[in-house]
This record gives sequence, structure tokens and C-alpha cells, in this order.
Amino acid sequence: MAALQHSLTVRRLAKHYGQTRAVDDVTLTIGRGEFVTLLGPSGSGKTTILMAIAGFVQPTAGDILLDETPITPLPPERRNFGMVFQGYALFPHMTVAENVHFPLRVRNVARAEAERRVAEALDLVQLGPLKDRRPSQLSGGQQQRVALARALVFQPALLLLDEPLSALDKKLRAELQVELKALHRRVGLTFIYVTHDQEEALSMSDSIAILRDGRLVQEGPPGQLYERPATRFVADFLGKSNFLEGRIIERRADGFAYAVDGARFLQDGPAPPGETVLIALRPEKIAIAADGEAAANTVEGTIAAWSYFGTSFALVVATGAGTFQVTVPAWRCPVEPAEGRRVRLAWPADASVPVVPD
Amino acid sequence: MTTLAATLPRTAPQTRLLGASLSWWLLIAPAVILMLAFYAFPLAEVLWISFTEPEPGFGNYERLLTSPALQRVWMTTLRICVITTAITLVAGYVVAYALVSAPPRIQRWMFVCVLLPLWISVLVRAFAWVTLLRSQGVVNEALVAVGLIDRPLRLIWNEFGIAVGMVHYMIPYAVLPLYASMRDIDPRLVPAARGLGATRFEAFRRVFLPLTKPGIVAATVLVFIFSLGFYVTPAILGGGRTLMVAEYIKLQILDLIRWGVGTMMASTLLAAVVLVLAIFARIVDFRRLFGSRH
Amino acid sequence: MDRSAQAGPAANVLAWSVLLFLLLPITVVFPLSVTDQRFLSLPYEAPSLQHYVTFFTSERWLTSTWQSLVIAVFSTVLAVATGTLCAIGCWKLSTRLTDLVRVLMLLPIIVPSIVYALGIYRLWIRLDLLDTYLGIILVHGVTGIPYVMITVSATLANFDPRLEQAARSMGANLSQTLRWVIMPRVMPGIASGAIFAFIHSWDEAVLILFIASRALFTLPRRMWDGINENLDPVMAVAACVMMLLSMLLLAGDLWLRRKRDE
Repeated sequence: MAALQHSLTVRRLAKHYGQTRAVDDVTLTIGRGEFVTLLGPSGSGKTTILMAIAGFVQPTAGDILLDETPITPLPPERRNFGMVFQGYALFPHMTVAENVHFPLRVRNVARAEAERRVAEALDLVQLGPLKDRRPSQLSGGQQQRVALARALVFQPALLLLDEPLSALDKKLRAELQVELKALHRRVGLTFIYVTHDQEEALSMSDSIAILRDGRLVQEGPPGQLYERPATRFVADFLGKSNFLEGRIIERRADGFAYAVDGARFLQDGPAPPGETVLIALRPEKIAIAADGEAAANTVEGTIAAWSYFGTSFALVVATGAGTFQVTVPAWRCPVEPAEGRRVRLAWPADASVPVVPD
Repeated sequence: MTTLAATLPRTAPQTRLLGASLSWWLLIAPAVILMLAFYAFPLAEVLWISFTEPEPGFGNYERLLTSPALQRVWMTTLRICVITTAITLVAGYVVAYALVSAPPRIQRWMFVCVLLPLWISVLVRAFAWVTLLRSQGVVNEALVAVGLIDRPLRLIWNEFGIAVGMVHYMIPYAVLPLYASMRDIDPRLVPAARGLGATRFEAFRRVFLPLTKPGIVAATVLVFIFSLGFYVTPAILGGGRTLMVAEYIKLQILDLIRWGVGTMMASTLLAAVVLVLAIFARIVDFRRLFGSRH
Repeated sequence: MDRSAQAGPAANVLAWSVLLFLLLPITVVFPLSVTDQRFLSLPYEAPSLQHYVTFFTSERWLTSTWQSLVIAVFSTVLAVATGTLCAIGCWKLSTRLTDLVRVLMLLPIIVPSIVYALGIYRLWIRLDLLDTYLGIILVHGVTGIPYVMITVSATLANFDPRLEQAARSMGANLSQTLRWVIMPRVMPGIASGAIFAFIHSWDEAVLILFIASRALFTLPRRMWDGINENLDPVMAVAACVMMLLSMLLLAGDLWLRRKRDE
């Protein structure tokens, strides 16, 4: 399996449509066998990058390299990349088996060999019994699997996936996320996945590249991006966040202190240059402290609104340092939520993270 | 991997940029070459000849202002076109109106009646009208037999005959765009207007009619353009006594061999068609009509 | 909803009179063709097939029919081959330039035949193509392209461009993509276009007056002369033959459309 793995490098890629810069100087390395997600809102350039990798979009500048070899001048049919399209793009006039056979047909693979590989690919996605159906006779999830089998049957160098789950309902989507991840482990190929859904990105990827307005904002493993977002955009797009705009009042060796509207808070890690600082603080990292309980940071406020989600409560707490979104596990909430009730919020100095305002 | 590396061409990205769409342009090329060489070029030559034969200059076009014969041909053509278009539009509107309101089963039969003539050769139809309308024709014989008239009426080889044939030819072209525009109207609008106190006629005039304007415009353009350059029906049903532009051009070229006047009249005809199109292109989206994605 | 409430009885009567007017000339041709008289009239005593016998034993009419068929077949092939590829290319590229190409391809429908007839007459004199199969097939083929462009473009409008990309991503080159993915999907449009192009050539009566004279005499050309010279009943038979072929093709087109909608 390892022999099939390739790395892909996107070097200083740019694509301009007239004055619009769909992709603006993006450099990205995708390691062998990795599952990498390009994540961003619509118009962020993620699909354009994928289409450039696939060969459907000719870059204005920059290079795309497979391992060390530049592939930018190659037409799509000679790149040997599997691709799962948004909406699947199954050939409606062919059966499931004929769809999966198509890449072998264009490569003139001998009949017996082709039949064996089609059967293998259909088994891989558990669609063997449906091979004589037409795409219109399949459910959305089944169509998605045909598209996968079709993109894998010719042993491509990479698998590109363009929002493959966006057409499905939420529950099915969650199931297929698990399946896709397992499939990735089984086939061992390098996967490049495009989505605007942050949950999908977090649950499946080895690495996520976050894009905004054609530029790469931050890249890294999901945990790192979630815990250490570099910018306000990342912190906001990936999960939820409170933002505290403070003024640095004290610098120490292992951290710093900042003030927000008179309240004083502590933050671990090196202080950014300048006087002001923007701190991102996840709602679930804030606890409701019991009276007298000590914590690095505390602030008092009143509950302005609350809602119940089964697993958790979401509270909106108005304090002297601004309004906080707080998520607390429902079974461990120390106080009964009620509007107007006074609570004390607490979080450790390593729970929050300074981000670049943008 | 080795196989992939081996297939890598040593070309610059720019070559490929052109190469990607080049193959698609090659698909377009044969039709474009044929159309340019055997359609656009000869058409351009017609324009060219109109300015160069018998001698270079605007001499041929000056005749438009000086020759009563030419003016008469144009006046006849325009008069017949306007009459044809007006009658066709009214008849087409009535048919389209009945079509949209008919139940599906009847609607299918009405459609057959509208489309059938479109598929019959214009020559066959002109021939049929001759057999119907001439003095020993079916219509006159029937009228005489019934005793309504003593002597056959002159129904053909005059403007009446031309108009009958042309209206017959044009009605389907009017019905189709009119029907398309009526079909898109929300069927609840007219009942709504009636519910607000409008009479049947008011509801039609104030609500339905304005909404069919795009269809009326499209039908008018189509019928008028086709009528302007129509050759077969006017030539046969006019019997050489009523000359419209197209037949006049044919006479100049094939019988009198006066290329200058013939091509001048053809160029003027083409200019008239383009003018009508240009005026109405502002009102109707012709690109959508012709299947462009833009 | 209740649309039938809209059209009053007066409108319906008017509409049906117009429809009968549309059918009138078509219905009169067949009775005329089976007349038992030697001149053009309705049958006096009983219907007779004598003029059909005349038509199908007359070398002049049979030659014309044959020539019309040959010309229509080859010009249809020409129009379908070039028009289909052109429609596919324009659909894929879809730039401002291809919009211009579309307009160019529609010229033969917009420009009056008589204007084009002068130009092509002149060109064929120079190229010595008057009265030749090649000359007529080229002219009928080129003027048939718009019908193919329109019908094929209409089917392509519903064609998901991602199917083409999908084929490419799986390694299919242009010709494989055309043959295995695009063509099968636009086949109904191509077939409709072919039928239109065929009928266009089969019925064409203006250009033929200019570019054919003695050697080639298509059915419409012979009918034209007949109408202007002697109205004999064989003309009605010829008209029926022309109508019959058109009707058969129309039925074929309807059948294709129904099949496509299934």
C-alpha cells in the first residue's frame, strides 16, 4: 500500500479572473498518505485550488508538484488523480458497474482484469449487489459510494473530494464521515478533501488548511487549529469563541497580564508585541466557579439568556468585561440557570489564546 | 509513479493553456469554416456587388429614390407584410389563448393542428392554395354549386391570394412564442383581478394582455422578418402580377441579369431585416432564445 | 388551476376556425391526387390511382425523387457532423467568442434565402459548382447547420458539465469523452437535428432555383415548374409524396421526444 502514496506540493499558486483573485499566493504541502482538508467559506478559493490540482483550472502563477515532479502543464486526464465531484457526476446512462468500469475502459484494461477490479472496488464500498442499477435508482449515500469506487478503481495517485457529503442529510453525513475515514486508512491513499463544514474537517482530517479570500490563513492538525488558532477568523470559523480585547499591563517570563474594562486577566505564553491584545476563549473552557473557589481568571456577571441542549447549557453572561458565551455540561452545572442570576466565571491562564485580529 | 513521470510533457504552462481549449476550438472549426466560406463570404459578396456593379458607387441605391418601379415594389412588400403580420398576430393570439386554457387532451390535438403545417413543404402548401383558390378551384366551384355566386371570384394572383398563403404560413410561428409567454403567467392572476371587481374584458386588457407582451413582441419580429424576404408563396400566389421584393430580386438576376439592381435590393432587404431585429433585440432576449448560457 | 374558465366560447370558436384554416390546404391535396379526371379536380365518380401510376412510372419524377433523397441524405450528414461538434464546442468553451459563433451559425435562419441565393449563385458560377451534387449538398448542408445547432444546444443545456470533468479526471481523452459520455447524452438532440436538417433539404425550393438547372432537378424544383406551367394531377401526387415523407419524419421525431421524456 505504501507504494501508492504520494505527496503533493502547491507552490505559490495564484488564479486570477480579471481583477478577482480567486487564489492568491497559496503554498501548501500535503504529506504522503495524509487526509488533508481545505476548509473555508464559499468564495475562499478552496474549490479553485482543488480544480487546479485536478487540472481543470489553469493557474495564473505558481506550480503544483506531485512528489518532486511539476504537473501543472498536464491535462486532467493524464494526472491520474481520482476525483469525487460535488453531486457525484455519475454517468446517468450507465449502470453502477459501467460507471466504475469507465476509467478502466479508457485505459484499455483487459476484460477479465477489469471485471475483477470493478468487483473489488464495488466490494470496497459494499455495493456489489447493486452493480446493475442505474444511478437514478440509488439513494444519495449509495451514489456517493459509487463515485468513490469509480475514483479508486484505477489506482489513482491521489483522491480529490469536492464537498462529497454536502448533498446528504445530517445523520447520513455523520455515518459517511466515519466510513470515509476508515476507507482512507484501508486504501492508504493521499486524500485531499474540500468542504465548508468545520465539523467534517475536524472529525476526518489529519491536517486542515483554512482559506479565506483566496489566501491560506492557517494549516495544521485539527487539534492544533482548534486549540491554537492563529487569527480571529480561524478561532471564529472553527468552533465558537469569545473575544476579549485587552491592554497588556504586565509582561512576565511565562505569560502576561491584560486588562479588559478594568478587569484583570492572566494569559500563558509569550505576549504579542504592542500594547493591545486580542484573546480568544472557547465557551466550553469557561467554568462556573463555586463561591470562594480560586482560579487564574475570574469575572462576575449575570445570566442574560440561556438555552438547554440536552448535553449542555449555553449561557450568555453579562459581565463588567463584556458579554461571555459559556457552554457548561448539563449534568455538572453547579447552578440552576435563570435569567438575572449572578454567577462567577473562571478559566485557567492556558485556556485562552492570543490571536491576530483581522 | 514511474509511468506518470514518463508521461510528463516538457512544455511550458502557457502552451497547455492554449492546448486545453484548442481541442475544443477544433470541434468548432469545421462548421465555422463551412459557414464562413460558403455562407458569410457569398453574403458579403452580395453587399460588395451592390456597390460595384455596373460601376462603383452608390448608383444602385440612388435608384431607390428615383425609380417609381422600385418604390412600388417596396411599398407593396411593406403593405403586405404589415397586413400579414397584423392578421397573423390576432389569429395566433386567439389560438395561443385557447391553447393555454384547453384541457390537456384537447390541447394535444390543437398542437398537432398548429405544428402539422410547419412540417409541410411551403411549396406543397402554396400548391394547395392554388388548387383551392383558382377560378376552377375547389372554393369557387363549391360556392357556385351552392349558388352563392354566379361567376368565380378572383381569389388568387392578387394581394388577397398572397395574404391568405402568407398568413397560413406564419400562424404557427406566431402561436409558439405567444403560447410560451402565456404558459408562464400565473393562472390565478386573472381570477384574482375578477375577484377585485374587474370585468372579464378589463381583467384581460389590464392583467393578461400586458403580461403577454414579450410573446407579442417575439411573434411580431419573427413573422415580420420572415414575411419581408418570403419568396415561394408570394411568387406562386401572386402569379407574377403582384411583385414583392424577393421575387423582384429573382427576376433581376435570373431573367434580366441586372446584378447591380438585384444585389442592391437584396442588400436593402437584409438591412431591413437586421434593422427590425436590432430594434426588437432591446426588448426581447434573443440570446436566451438561441440557447446561449450567457 | 381552472384555466378553462378563461377562454370564453367565442374565443374557442375563433381558435378552432383558425386551426381548421391551418389544416385546410393539407386535407385538400390527397383528394385531388386520387381524381379520376385528367385535369386537377376532386374525383367526380370514384377515386382513382391512375396518377400515382403515372408518377411511379415517370422517369422524370422518379429521377427527381431519387436526386432529392441523395441530396437530403448527404447534406444532413454534413450538417449533423459539423453542427453537433460545433454545438458541443460552444457549450464547453462558452466564451464571448463562441456566442459570436452561435450568431454566425444562426444566420441562415435569419437571412432571407433569396439574399443568400444571389451570393452562392455567383460563387458557384466562379467555382463551376452549379448544377452539381457537391454544390447543392454543400449549400443544403451549410443552411441545415442552424437546425442541428439549436436542437443539440437545447439538449446540452440540461447536461451537467461535471460529467465531462468526471470523465477527464478518470483518464478519458477528448475523443473518448465525446464518444462515451457526451454523444450518448445528446443523441436525442442530434436525431431531432438530423430530422430537421433532412426536411430542410427535402423541401428547399428557393436556393435550388438558382444553383440547379438541368442535370439536377429536385422534387421541389420540378413542382415549382409544374405549378407555373401546367397544373396536372400528378403534381398532387408529388405533393402527397413530399408530405408523406415529412409526416413519417415528424412521427419519428415525436417518438424520439416521447422516448427521451421517459
